[in-house]
Amino acid sequence: MIKYCKEPELESPDLICGWPGIGRIGTLAVDYIRRAVKAEELGEIEPLDFFEPNKAIILNGLLNSLEFPSSKFYYRKTDKKDLLLFIAEEQPSNESAKIYAVGEKAYQLANLVLDVAYKFKCRRIYTSGAAITQTHHTLPPRVWAVPNSEELIDELKDYENIVLMSDIEGRRGQGFIIGLNGLMLGAARKRNIQSICLMGEIPYYLQGSPWPYPKASMAVVKVLTHILGIDIDIRPLENMSGKVEETIDSFLQNLFESEAIPQQIRDQIRDSIEKMKSINTSGPITKEDERRIMGHIDEFFKKRKKGNEGAN
Amino acid sequence: MKEPIEVYRQPDLENASLIVGWQNSSGNLGSKVVEYLSRHLQARTFGEIEPVQFFPLNGVEVENNIAKMPFSRFSSGDRKDLVIFESEPPSFDKYRFLKSVLDTGEYYCKIKDLYTIDGIVSPISHTSPRRLWAVYSDGDFQKRLRDYELENITWEGPPTLSSFLLWLAQNRGIPGLSLWPEISFYLSATEDPKAVKSVLSFFNRRFDLGLDFGDLDSQIKTQNGNLALLRKENPEIDDYISTLEVGLSLNEDDQLKLAQGVTEFLEKMLV
Repeated sequence: MIKYCKEPELESPDLICGWPGIGRIGTLAVDYIRRAVKAEELGEIEPLDFFEPNKAIILNGLLNSLEFPSSKFYYRKTDKKDLLLFIAEEQPSNESAKIYAVGEKAYQLANLVLDVAYKFKCRRIYTSGAAITQTHHTLPPRVWAVPNSEELIDELKDYENIVLMSDIEGRRGQGFIIGLNGLMLGAARKRNIQSICLMGEIPYYLQGSPWPYPKASMAVVKVLTHILGIDIDIRPLENMSGKVEETIDSFLQNLFESEAIPQQIRDQIRDSIEKMKSINTSGPITKEDERRIMGHIDEFFKKRKKGNEGAN
Repeated sequence: MKEPIEVYRQPDLENASLIVGWQNSSGNLGSKVVEYLSRHLQARTFGEIEPVQFFPLNGVEVENNIAKMPFSRFSSGDRKDLVIFESEPPSFDKYRFLKSVLDTGEYYCKIKDLYTIDGIVSPISHTSPRRLWAVYSDGDFQKRLRDYELENITWEGPPTLSSFLLWLAQNRGIPGLSLWPEISFYLSATEDPKAVKSVLSFFNRRFDLGLDFGDLDSQIKTQNGNLALLRKENPEIDDYISTLEVGLSLNEDDQLKLAQGVTEFLEKMLV
């Protein structure tokens, strides 16, 4: 089920995995590293058992091709560290219309990725995704780290801008990691491979947004490159982050001025979001308020999407 | 995982063509064509794909006062060269489902080719002729069928279940054709017997079935009569249809009004 196009000799590489999720934080971070280190394609997981086709090309009555979401491995030998990367365009699911991996298929795919880690005698696996939190999009995101073994805790505490679940107010070290990011930690633990999930913070009000959130991807890339001891130019990601921030500002301005939402509610949304500028731990607004605000913002995202579709 | 195919009896088939009709397709076209063919061939079910792995069995749907269960059945009848598969489109694990269709087709029915039935909802009037669009799995098959006056589709986008099946068949070297008759958009929620006839006419010629379209012609006549009555009673509907008949298009609101008006009227006539 894994098709290799190369068989390089790698020395205890680390494997970095990215798959789609909120703000495309994981895929953007891992793909950025892949481009920056000029990683080469190693192989791919054959899609049929995991994914449905997402595109048909029919020319003059002839079914030319059917395309599937890709799940590809890449590699790079560097002076300091050999790297393996895995980037998937979708998370597999036994249930239709689920963004995050669910069920047997997801577990099978996680184990196929681990088979590759085993084959190349990987030292450690890193996964990356999003941590939805009550923060503001103008603040620098932190990176939540969850390892799959206790011995990694002390090491993680030494890194800059990393928080453990126990550092987050009200969590007491508890939490839940949805989808393949979580499943991978568990499956790797079962097979005695060290693994760490790094999640960049994204403001709760952007969890349904159609844009990537490169600011959080950048935070993850910084942590990863520091841990791995590799040096890459972060400026293109910074530029992208600046542009997305402008888009978010403009979107929020439109929302605050939208007459489709009653003035009182708009003021509440504005106050709640503004409040996020001065805090970076959970707790300033209640979960109920968060849900209510999200309802309005998501509705606005949908209207905007519909408007754009209409314009096409 | 348990094998999802259950075959009750070995069908007596040689060099068969598999005809696939999906339930709940636009204008109920897949079911109508397959029902018609099954009746003509006196087809009996010989096997099925178990629903448990492919449908959310969290209850049953009630339709026309009767509880329904999703089904995916193979049947064959008088002809040794035709096998019919009728099913609801699976909700999940589509690859395994379609693989089971082809496994059954290859192993039990020795199929040589396959045909799927779908429908293209089109902004045409019910009085217009129905074009029959086609997607082929390979060029040779396309050449062999060039005398059938099928229109070639060119399209890029999300694949349908039939395209997925065609692609899987292609990988096994089984040629396939997906048939896409035009369905007038305001008949897509009820029935479009003219579209049904266009597909059946193709099969009639392709397999020399000797079909008698008397009952279908009578359905078309009845539907035309009902719509003529509606046009007489409702000048707004008449205007919309007349606009389509001269080759002009309707805006979204008018399309919706026409579709609603026709659907309500035809449903009332059926009661």
